[in-house]
Amino acid sequence: MAAPARKTDIGPPHYEKFLHPIIKENYGKWKYHEVIKPGVLVHVAETGAKIFTVRAASPRLLSSTTILLICDLADKYSGGYLRFTSRNNIEFILDNEANIDPLINELKQNNIPVGGTKNSISNIVHTQGWIHCHSSATDASGLVKVIMDDCFEYFENMTLPHKVKIAVACCLNMCGAVHCSDIAILGLHRRPPKIDHANLKNMCEIPSTVASCPTAAIRPTYVDGKPSVKIDEDRCMFCGNCFSVCPAMPIADPLNDGVSIWVGGKVSNARTQPTFTKLAIPYIPNNPPRWTEVTEAVKKIVTIYAQDAEKYERVGEWIERIGWPRFFDLTGFEFTKYHIDDFKYAGLTYRRTTQMKY
Amino acid sequence: MSDSKSPILDELEKGPWPSFVTEIKKAAEKSPMAQGLLEQLELSYKEKKTHWKHGGIVGVKGYGGGIIGRYSDASDKFPDVAHFHTVRVNQPSGWFYTADALRELMGIWEKHGSCLTNFHGSTGDTVFLGTKTSELEAIFTELSEKGWDLGGSGSDVRTPSCCVGPARCEFACYDTLALTYDLTMSYQDELHRPFFPYKWKFKMAGCPNDCVASIARSDFSIIGTWKDDIRMDSEAVKEYAADADFNIQKFVVNKCPSKCMSWDGEKLEIDNRNCVKCMHCINVMPKALRVGKEKGAAILIGAKAPIVEGAQLASVIVPFIDMTPPYQELKDLIAAIWEFWDEHGVARERIGECIQRVGLGSFIEQIGLKPLPQMVLQPRDNPYIFYEEYLEEE
Amino acid sequence: MAVSTEELADSMYALVAEYAGKKKLKASDIVKEMIDKYGDEVDKNQGKEAIRLLMDSERCVYTYFGGTYIELPHKEGSAPE
Repeated sequence: MAAPARKTDIGPPHYEKFLHPIIKENYGKWKYHEVIKPGVLVHVAETGAKIFTVRAASPRLLSSTTILLICDLADKYSGGYLRFTSRNNIEFILDNEANIDPLINELKQNNIPVGGTKNSISNIVHTQGWIHCHSSATDASGLVKVIMDDCFEYFENMTLPHKVKIAVACCLNMCGAVHCSDIAILGLHRRPPKIDHANLKNMCEIPSTVASCPTAAIRPTYVDGKPSVKIDEDRCMFCGNCFSVCPAMPIADPLNDGVSIWVGGKVSNARTQPTFTKLAIPYIPNNPPRWTEVTEAVKKIVTIYAQDAEKYERVGEWIERIGWPRFFDLTGFEFTKYHIDDFKYAGLTYRRTTQMKY
Repeated sequence: MSDSKSPILDELEKGPWPSFVTEIKKAAEKSPMAQGLLEQLELSYKEKKTHWKHGGIVGVKGYGGGIIGRYSDASDKFPDVAHFHTVRVNQPSGWFYTADALRELMGIWEKHGSCLTNFHGSTGDTVFLGTKTSELEAIFTELSEKGWDLGGSGSDVRTPSCCVGPARCEFACYDTLALTYDLTMSYQDELHRPFFPYKWKFKMAGCPNDCVASIARSDFSIIGTWKDDIRMDSEAVKEYAADADFNIQKFVVNKCPSKCMSWDGEKLEIDNRNCVKCMHCINVMPKALRVGKEKGAAILIGAKAPIVEGAQLASVIVPFIDMTPPYQELKDLIAAIWEFWDEHGVARERIGECIQRVGLGSFIEQIGLKPLPQMVLQPRDNPYIFYEEYLEEE
Repeated sequence: MAVSTEELADSMYALVAEYAGKKKLKASDIVKEMIDKYGDEVDKNQGKEAIRLLMDSERCVYTYFGGTYIELPHKEGSAPE
C-alpha cells in the first residue's frame, strides 16, 4: 500500500459537516432560549423548532477513553452531535426532549456532572501548569479541581446573584483570560532568575536577552571570562520574560513560587464596561495537592458575594458598589503595599477624591 | 494504597468534580507516556516545581506552527516522557463535532500519542498532549488525509476561534462561524509559516456579551453589534411582568447603563438613540427583547495578557462594519495593519504594544482610518501635542 | 523578476548561516535583508516563497524562543547545548 499523501494548508474541516440538522435548518433564525433547569437549555427558532442542550463538566484534560465514552453517549442520546464551550464544557445537542434525563443520569453514573448555566460557577478556564509548561509557578489542573470540588454546589445550581467566571493561570503569561475574570488565581514567581553563567552564551543571544526585560534590569557582563548577563535585582518584577527568550535564566523557585488571587474582572459589555481583575491576595504559598488556603479564600469571596450582591451584579460590580475598603473589611483580607500599583499607569488607580465611605 | 506510584495526586481523585488525575490514569492504561506523565507530575507535586524544559525546535516539515516542543528535565527517571510534544489541531468553527469525527481523531491519537487531550486549548485548538518527535510526521499525514490540519503557534496567525454564533444563539449579530472559517482559510500561509514580530490572535464574538473573551484576549477582536432599535415583543414583556420572581424596574430598567429605559408598570419603553447596546436587558428578557435588524460588528484591536509591557483590553478602531461576505473591507484593513506591524513591530511586541509605542493617532493614520470620537472615551486632557502643521512666513 | 526564487533562497540560506550562533533572525528580518540587497528586484511575496523553499527542503527550520526564528537545523533537544 502506498504511503498516504501528505497535504498542507487544507485548514480545518468545514463546520457545517458537524451541525445537527435542526441547527442547519434554523441557522441564524433562533428567536429565544430558556434554561429549563441547571445545565439544560432549549433554543427556540422563529419556525417554532426546538433544540435542546445538555451542558456537562470536563476537567479539560481528557483521556481518549473518556472522549470515546462521550462519543457513545452522543450516539445514544443526541444523534452523535455535540460541541464544546469556550469554558471547556461538553454540550450534547439533542432534538428529543425525552432523552435529556436519561442522558443526565448516564453522565452522572460516569461521574460527569451537569450544570454551569446562568447564575452559576461555570467550568474554570485554565492553563497547563506542571502538566505541560516550563514556566509555570504552580499547577493549574490541581487548583481547578480543588476549587470546583469546593464550589461544586454553585456549578449544579443557579442561585448566585449572577454568573461567576473563575480562571487559573500558572504564570504571568496568562494563557487564559485570567486578567478579566470574576475571580482569578494567578501563579507567580517571587525571585529573580538564577543565571546559568557557564552555558548562557551558548544557549542564548545576549542582546535579545537584555532587550527582553521590561524594566531594563538586565545588563551584559563577563563572568569567569565568559560573556553573560547580570540582573539588577531591585528592578526585577519576576515576570519571566527573559526566561522565555533565554533558557539559561530559569526562574522557578519551589520555596518562593505560589499563587495570588484577583477579583472583579469581566469581558462582557453588559451593564458595565469590560474590566481587568484587581488584586485581592498578593501571595499564598503553593500547598499541593489541595491548596487549602486558596480554596478557602475563593469560597469566602463567593459566599460573601452570594450574600451581599444584588441580583445581576457581577463580582466586580458588587465591589464597585460597596467600595474596595468594604470588600477588604468583609473578606478580612489584609490590604498591603503590594495592592498599590507601581508599574506604568499606577497613578490612574490612586484615589483622587475625598468621596469615601466611613 | 501503599503501592500507588502517585500517592499525592491520588488525593485529587477525591471530590465531586471530574478528576484530571483519573483521566491521566485512564490514558495510562493505553499509553506508557501517560504513565510517565503521572509519575513526573507526582514529582512536581512533591517538589512544587515543573519538570518541563524550555521551548522546543520541533515541527512538521514546512510548518513553523502547530507543534509545541516539550522535553522532560528528568528523562532519566521518566524516559517515556523524554519527549512530550503538543500537537495543536485546528478545531472546527464553534467547536462543533460529531461522535464519528472525534473517533477519527482519537484513532490517530491513540496510535501515535499519549492518549491525552485538551478539549480545548486556551486559543481554541483541539490539543493532543504529548508525543515523540518521531511520530509527528505520521500524525500530520494521517490528520491531513482525513481533512484536518494543524493550528498556529509562535509568531504566526494563531488559530482563529469564535463563539457558538448563529448556529445556536439568537444574539449573534453576524455569522461568527463563517467568518472564522473564511479567515482561517484565507490566512493559511500566515497561520502555518510565522512571519510576524509575534503572535496574532483573531477572535469572533457574535454579540457584546463576548463569550470568547475576544476583547481581553485577541489582537483583532470582531464583536457583533447592531445600529437600529431593540426589537420588543410587548406580549412577552407582559409575561415577564406577571412573573412574581421578576422585577422589570429593578432587574432591567435600573440596571441599564445609559438610563434609556422606562417602565410604568404596563409599558416598557426604550430610548434607542441613547442605547449603548450593552445586552443586559436582552440577556435577562430574551423572550421579549431581541437585538436589532441592522447588524454588523465593531472592530477592536490590541488585547493581550501582561507579558511584556502590561495587560491591555482591545480598543475600538472601527465602530461599525458590515459583515456580509466576502468581507473585503475587513481583509483590506487586516492587510494594512499587518503591513504597518511588519514595518514598525519589534520581536515579542504584540500589535497592542506597538500601537502604545507609536500612538493610536499615528497608527490609524498609517493604516488609512480617520480619527473618530468613538475610538476614545474622551479627548486628551494633556496639552503636549505633537503638532505637525505650521505656517511659515512667505 | 531578475532574481529567481531559488537564487533568493540560496542567498537567504547564506545569511542564516552567517548569523548562526550570533543572532537569531525572524522571517521578516531575512526578507528585509534581501530587499536591501536586491532592491526592487525582489518583493515580500517572493521572499515568503523563498523561505518556503528553504523550509520544504529542510535546509532551514523554524525555532521558537519566545517568538519564531529561522535557523539552521539543530540537533534534537530543547535548546542549543
